[in-house]
Amino acid sequence: MEYNIYAYKCKRCGHVQYPYRTICRNCHENDHNEFDIVPLPKKGKLLTYTILYNPPSDYETPTISLGIVELEDGNRITGQLKIDKPKTGMAVVGRVEIVRNESYNEYRGMVFYKA
Amino acid sequence: MREVFVAGIGITSFTRLEYPLVEIAAYPGLMALRDCGLNKIDQLYVANMGAGRVNHQTGLASAVVDNLSLTPAGADGIENGPASGASAIKQGFMAVASGLHDVVMVIGAERMREVNNLEATDFVATLTHPMAEYIYGVTLPSLAGMFTRLYMEKYGVTSRHLAMVAVKNHQHAMDNFYAHIHEPITIEGILDSPEASTNNPYVADPLRFYDCCPVSDGAACLILTTADIARKTGKPLVRLAGVGQATDTHSVADRKEPTDLLAVREAARKSFEMAGVKPSDVSVAELHDAFTILEIVESEEVGFFPKGQGHIALAEGATKLGGKLPINPSGGLKAKGHPVGATGVGQAHEIVLQLRGEAGKRQVKNAKVGFTCNFGGFGNNVVCLTFVKEK
Repeated sequence: MEYNIYAYKCKRCGHVQYPYRTICRNCHENDHNEFDIVPLPKKGKLLTYTILYNPPSDYETPTISLGIVELEDGNRITGQLKIDKPKTGMAVVGRVEIVRNESYNEYRGMVFYKA
Repeated sequence: MREVFVAGIGITSFTRLEYPLVEIAAYPGLMALRDCGLNKIDQLYVANMGAGRVNHQTGLASAVVDNLSLTPAGADGIENGPASGASAIKQGFMAVASGLHDVVMVIGAERMREVNNLEATDFVATLTHPMAEYIYGVTLPSLAGMFTRLYMEKYGVTSRHLAMVAVKNHQHAMDNFYAHIHEPITIEGILDSPEASTNNPYVADPLRFYDCCPVSDGAACLILTTADIARKTGKPLVRLAGVGQATDTHSVADRKEPTDLLAVREAARKSFEMAGVKPSDVSVAELHDAFTILEIVESEEVGFFPKGQGHIALAEGATKLGGKLPINPSGGLKAKGHPVGATGVGQAHEIVLQLRGEAGKRQVKNAKVGFTCNFGGFGNNVVCLTFVKEK
């Protein structure tokens, strides 16, 4: 089964926002703050990245790579990278995987690979 | 609105402090009362970010007001991430300006070294977006690393420029007894020598160890009051003339122009406007250099230098003591230290010292207008203060 990360499409103005906000960031309408849930695209362009050499203690790897990706629909998302030598501007494609393991919780999020 | 003056100030060393948080918080309160000769207050504001999580203590303001035997004065706690300190000063300003209170004590206090560095970093990381950032392992250094890479590519800032901020601020801190780090460093030692990669390893590429502030304990205090009471203390008069605050998107990825820090720009504009001064009137500034890149970018966003030119002014020496506009004469967060909730009050403490002419070896000559930028989150909540020396 393929997982998705979901964004929120305003029923009034059609603006797609990620992450979730109670009031639409585009039309600020507070009478009908209703949203359709739509999957975020998986393809995009790597805007910037870092290699973190002291990740939080619940990670077992010595480093994690993080990046900000501009997706095809213009939304931006922070995610983990599994790319050998990342370069800004490179095409990437995301998969939803486990990104954090706390004692009793597993969190799924977007992990980007070289497209 | 009444004018608001700083009557008394106090500070602890920013370092590892082996005292209970309440006593760390109370000490600069005592110093500030001694400084201005007052022994009663109407209201206490205590800024702190992590007592509930890190020190297993809640209700800090009630504990501190009792420890200082200042009951039955009012006491409120303020938590606004790393901008808690300046936020609490803003509350104090409003209380005096509105006429609600005549004497207000503002304390910022934090004890982060009670836990190890990884836990302290994780505690600060809880201010990031829970679903869009935190679950990925995002920490403040990683947000700063991604931001730095963009800034380098767009404006030609290099690792050498970042190191210049560290060298400058470490040098400034040498003359600050209360600073966390008293260690002169050189560009050669942290960048060029064969040992540099050991001395100065990557933390969040392209940021290295010496680009990041230390994890500190510490506290600072300001007593705010009216013109009449301030005059009676006999201290040089320093007026809190401008208070500006602004916010930006919670998730950093969401910002339209990811190299802009719009909340800094807007908070500074409001603060200058209220004080009736221009950025070019400022004689000394304390900027929030939790990461070296931030001193450069904030110096642009608040209006000291045009966008993209901050690193050039830095390289020309404009921002060191003796330069045209000294930035972080205290050593900044980089070397003075960063006890998160205390930092904004610590910045104001330095500016008041400078405007009073009490800063000793690091005194900026003829300092008349001072400015602080206290940067919360990764730029999502910023408070800027403008102080003016009065006759």
